[in-house]
Amino acid sequence: MSSSFFLDGKAIPFKEGQTVLQAAMSAGHYIPHLCWRPELEPHSSCRLCTVIISGKPFSSCTQPAMEGQNVECDTPELKAMRRAVTQLLFVEGNHYCPSCEESGGCKLQATAYYLGMQDNHFPHQFPVRVRDSSHPLVNLDRDRCIRCETCVRASRELDGKNVFAIHGRGIRSKLAVNSPTGLLKDSGISPEDMAVKLCPTGALTVKRVGFEFPIGQRIFDQESIATLELREYANQEAVHG
Amino acid sequence: MYPSLTIPVPDFLDSIPVEHRKDPHALLQILIQIQHAYHHVPKEAAKRLAEEMGVPLVRVQGLLSFYSFLSPEPQGDYVIHFSDNITDQMLGNRGLAAHLCQRLGVKLGETRKDGRVSVHFTSCTGMCDQGPAALVNYLPVTNLDQERIERIADLVNAQIPLQDWPPEFFTVKSQIRRSDVVFRKPIEPGEGIRASLERGGAFLAEWAEDLAPSDARKHHLERGGAETLKEIYRSELRGRGGAGFKTGIKWESVRDAKSSDHYVLCNADEGEPGTFKDRVLLTDYADMVFEGMTICGHAVGSKTGILYLRQEYWYMKEHLEKVLSRRREAGLLGKGILGTALDFDIELHFGAGAYICGMETAMIKSIEGRRGIPRRRWPLPVHQGYLRCPTVVNNVETFAAATVISAKGGAWFAHNGTGQSTGTKLFCVSGDCERPGIYEYPWGVSVHEVLRDCGALDAQGVQVGGPSGTMINTREFDRSACFEDLVGTGTLMIFGPQRDMFEAVKNFALFFQHESCGLCTPCRVGTTLLANYVRKFEKGCGSPVDLKEMQNISGLMKTMAHCGLGQTANHHITESIEKFPAIWKGRMKTTEFIPAFDLDGALEEARNLTGRTDPEAHLAPDHAPMEA
Repeated sequence: MSSSFFLDGKAIPFKEGQTVLQAAMSAGHYIPHLCWRPELEPHSSCRLCTVIISGKPFSSCTQPAMEGQNVECDTPELKAMRRAVTQLLFVEGNHYCPSCEESGGCKLQATAYYLGMQDNHFPHQFPVRVRDSSHPLVNLDRDRCIRCETCVRASRELDGKNVFAIHGRGIRSKLAVNSPTGLLKDSGISPEDMAVKLCPTGALTVKRVGFEFPIGQRIFDQESIATLELREYANQEAVHG
Repeated sequence: MYPSLTIPVPDFLDSIPVEHRKDPHALLQILIQIQHAYHHVPKEAAKRLAEEMGVPLVRVQGLLSFYSFLSPEPQGDYVIHFSDNITDQMLGNRGLAAHLCQRLGVKLGETRKDGRVSVHFTSCTGMCDQGPAALVNYLPVTNLDQERIERIADLVNAQIPLQDWPPEFFTVKSQIRRSDVVFRKPIEPGEGIRASLERGGAFLAEWAEDLAPSDARKHHLERGGAETLKEIYRSELRGRGGAGFKTGIKWESVRDAKSSDHYVLCNADEGEPGTFKDRVLLTDYADMVFEGMTICGHAVGSKTGILYLRQEYWYMKEHLEKVLSRRREAGLLGKGILGTALDFDIELHFGAGAYICGMETAMIKSIEGRRGIPRRRWPLPVHQGYLRCPTVVNNVETFAAATVISAKGGAWFAHNGTGQSTGTKLFCVSGDCERPGIYEYPWGVSVHEVLRDCGALDAQGVQVGGPSGTMINTREFDRSACFEDLVGTGTLMIFGPQRDMFEAVKNFALFFQHESCGLCTPCRVGTTLLANYVRKFEKGCGSPVDLKEMQNISGLMKTMAHCGLGQTANHHITESIEKFPAIWKGRMKTTEFIPAFDLDGALEEARNLTGRTDPEAHLAPDHAPMEA
């Protein structure tokens, strides 16, 4: 007999060891997230996947699924808070969607659309951040970095390279590059690295291939981030079981 | 004057045992040693450590940029950190720091050109009952006043070594003003652990006759530990660090978790501004703290304890090492404690300036030599803590209480306090009162009673439990300190009638902005937005919309932040709006929205570009910038 819990009242089956987020995604229920990737260790830093269990908030990407528990996910309060957290990400960085080559393929932007974000609401911080265009093939634009550490984890766990780390603390924390000069050109990065591919924003991009698709034909012009992520997750499960 | 500053870096590193140098878990501890020797971590030292430990250089740099007391850039021969808690500010630390900088000819936050001296502010150093305080080369200097500042300026300018400074500068008093049943008479060293071991029954009694001697000794040990755990349960002891988790449950979970190693960690990070009881306990009751850790080791089956001290308490290192070696000599630590099969020893680890490391999972990471970022919730430290082994993390005061419980019994302990809060509690009293210091009361004491005893009956407000705790006004002084009502670390910062509570709110907002680790979005951005709103009100540009916005952000942090820091780093905002509305209303010029930025000033660049200086190039006077 398989176990199950309740997500907004709907029974969700789960396998031993699955988190709430994994089980929900397997069952075709999208929970918004930015720092979580199925192939990486969960990080629970973006906080978008927060759900309420027995009155308490938990990040569903790290919360183990448990038999019979009631999980509140798509309540109006949580939806509003997810939208607000996304707005915080927009105002703490410098996100110029109209001119960004990642526009239309950007998970931050797509998530904002999914959450019904109409404006940035909070006061812009306009931080001064250093861009690293030293590498011939890979660009690092820290203005667009949301410090989800996807690249940090992917470089370590998937590429076996440790190219990235976070330096500093609090609002001044920033993405750092592991090289003698601190520049990307002297690091072991390559445009094929998962660290580059998995970046959910335009912080890490491959040079010379920007604006490949015209407006209307870009990834998220075709489908919502929920549809895309659910399909990708299902494919991944079909391959890895 | 500082011989170590002139030792070549390679020689200094060579003097560190090689097994230590190759162990990435020792990274933070070694960086602290280097910082103390050179007042910064030279690039070549960072590089060589990374190579020897086999870790990326970027990781070493990550630590340097995370911990406030580590610096990648050279600091002065004298590094002075002024404690900047609100209690220090109320005693005039800002003026004293400015005066010292002026006397020394150095800018705050910078190093003098000749490399002699650097002056900084730092978060509360735990000397609130004897402030204003500072750290000079990581050693505390207390009771600063104009005269001491003049002397310090002279001593620095004359390059007098620290050991020749007036010793009274470095005096740290314990100031225990009231003691109650738990701490009135310290437990004699060994009394608690002996009682714990004796609970195993008379050694080699009848039940042991059929067992081999080594099995009998092991069995005896386990019986004793199990009985002591029962006493902890009977005492209903709850953690003294603020969260109040039942100690018995925690210990039992660790004991029952299968693993080859178990660890006992004592949290002496004590970063909550206004809190200094751990400092006093480790000064006057260190034996009781270490013994509590040993008793815990007995109860959960651990061989290793680690005391994690905040960097501000570096000055206690020698004292604590002496206590540890005395206990080893007395057979109270080490192999075969008191002739039984119990092996347990304790190491000291230091933090390097990060409030977040008081959070248990952040502390574990720090002890592992990494950035103190709280890790994800599951698995819990009782199952996978330090080095992924089952780990008890308790506060200094909790371990001291465990010693008393082992010696006197759980029922005796539970006799004091209230229904859900048994025993007594140490309260750290500072701010506007006649007798600041440590007060021990049974749980349930009213704020009013504490205010009466410390001489502060004219207080207008009290911050209970530090900035992350509760701000109360006169109408709430009959509330009581216990887990049923006002929980927290037992900290009371008192504000007299002459104070502007806004200053406290501002201090707390900037503190949280500085101490947010930056991992999660709500806390990283939320603390900054809140601090900016407070600055906006400070300029008199606040509006009711801003108050509402601050409350929204606070609610967002409470629900969405990753750890306790972010979830509580907004209490000062919501509570001051509710309980001291006048401090906000007085800083609003209108009931309408006013932008924080200077509209006319923003046109300056355009005026410069076009060479316009005429009045027409300026906004009308009613749009002119507001005076800051």
